[in-house]
Amino acid sequence: MDGEEFYGAAYKGSKQFTQQQVKTANATGFGAAADDFMERGIDLNEQLIRNKPATYFFRMKGDAMREAGIFDNDVLIVDRSIKLGEGKIIVAILNGEMLVRRFHKNFSSAFLIPENNRFKAINLAEFTDFAVWGVVTFVIHAV
Amino acid sequence: MKAIVDCNNFYCSCERLFKPWLDNKPVVVLSNNDGCIVSRSDEAKKLGVEMAGPYFMAKPLIQKHDIAVFSSNYNLYGDLSWRVMETLRIMLGKKNVEVYSVDEAFVDLSGFSPDQIPEISREIRETVEQWTGIKVSVGVAPTKVLAKLANRFSKKDKQRTGCVTVFDSEEKILEALQKTPVGDIWGVGRRYAHSLQENWGIFDALQLRNVSEEFARTHLGGVTGVRLVKELRGEIARDMEDELVNKKMIATTRMFGSPVSDINSIKEAIATYTSRAAEKLRRQHSAASMISIFVVTKDQDHMLGFNKSGTISTYTTLPAATSITNELIKPAVAMVDQLYKKDTMYKKAGVMLSGIIPDESIQGNLFLSETKNCGRRLMDMIDNINFSQRNDVLKFASSGTTRDWKMRQEMRSGRYTTRWEELFEVH
Repeated sequence: MDGEEFYGAAYKGSKQFTQQQVKTANATGFGAAADDFMERGIDLNEQLIRNKPATYFFRMKGDAMREAGIFDNDVLIVDRSIKLGEGKIIVAILNGEMLVRRFHKNFSSAFLIPENNRFKAINLAEFTDFAVWGVVTFVIHAV
Repeated sequence: MKAIVDCNNFYCSCERLFKPWLDNKPVVVLSNNDGCIVSRSDEAKKLGVEMAGPYFMAKPLIQKHDIAVFSSNYNLYGDLSWRVMETLRIMLGKKNVEVYSVDEAFVDLSGFSPDQIPEISREIRETVEQWTGIKVSVGVAPTKVLAKLANRFSKKDKQRTGCVTVFDSEEKILEALQKTPVGDIWGVGRRYAHSLQENWGIFDALQLRNVSEEFARTHLGGVTGVRLVKELRGEIARDMEDELVNKKMIATTRMFGSPVSDINSIKEAIATYTSRAAEKLRRQHSAASMISIFVVTKDQDHMLGFNKSGTISTYTTLPAATSITNELIKPAVAMVDQLYKKDTMYKKAGVMLSGIIPDESIQGNLFLSETKNCGRRLMDMIDNINFSQRNDVLKFASSGTTRDWKMRQEMRSGRYTTRWEELFEVH
């Protein structure tokens, strides 16, 4: 089938122009010399979004994860296509609510761990309706 | 083989994605202006909430069972629809996906060998749900009509089928055809279904598959009917189509939040709807040569809550096809003077653009005057600003500045995926 489409990067950036369309060659002097080194600028979408249709943004409320560098009002980038794994920060569904916590699993049990000692760890054995909404990949924090 | 991938109760699923406490609870979504029910979760269906029924009539049932109600949130649904389709395109290749509607797509699986098909079909269902959070059901068969039929079985018995049904043998197809009433076949309308049963004793899809082509041509709407019967037999008569077929007619119509009677309000509404229609027109790179408007009066006579009402309409043929908003607003607003009657309450108005052709001014037609292209450039600028800023920051003065002619959406959830200020909050 369409191998390239399948294995290629899912998201190819938000820029709609090609290298040929960068018109520095029309300029004289510096422009012409720099032309050999012309490349596209950095695109945050390409860097922070690995799988666009699976990536959602959330707004963090509260400071349950402040030791992990996630503060009140920060924006979380969440990728649903990433598999749940030990130590990952996730958006979890628990009791119909959505929580941000670190997922921790050992031989016998699994926990949702807050990164703030004022909050308690949640033992998932006590809940029947735990589900993973997605895995947090980046945090956007205004300074 | 061809597959149809169809989102389950799409609008309800979109609402649930950000409200997990509504999983397994009844949910309904209302149409524009909160008029009718346009999407029901399985639980709401079971409680007897009717599709397309007026909201006020279902209200007692909704309150009794504490059903969650939402106004339609097209910003959210549109974004999630794009995510579902994009996932399919990434998985299967752009050219193998045909978006059929906001919540359905046909997928060409002819590149896979027969023994791969069941596995691929399940993978499609799982990946779409994993990536986007939207549950879909999948029907796979040799033709589009049969794929639709297979999908009906996926939806009817989600548990047993796991939302995936593959017709990969003649026996499976025959059995399903026998179980499917003619009225449930994709493309057989209620009128044809009635006539097939009453006049010809054709009750199920298997019977319909066995009619002659001549019969289909005479009694099932000509060539469309012949195609349908062929597809039922497993012969491809409706192949994958190119997407983005440009619309032949563009309409914008809305119910007013509350009825109005003065002429200026109606003119403002018509100007607003014309701007919106012109925007849609430009988006598909077309121009229109005819514009019609209509208004619907509200009769004071109440009968069981239904209003007797009348639609009055008129049209104008434009001197040249155009996509420029001000060139469309002018004749549209002028027509209001023709239609308007004093002391009448109006509850709805609409604008329709037709006679649609490709917009030549985009490529820059040599024979067009300079000014014409200027107008088109101005429109591009307005569209770009409105698109990036949202909320129509730039509009024509004739659309009015005080009233909001947009929809009534009292129970709309946040636009979590398209507005930075409305992101869903997690703790």
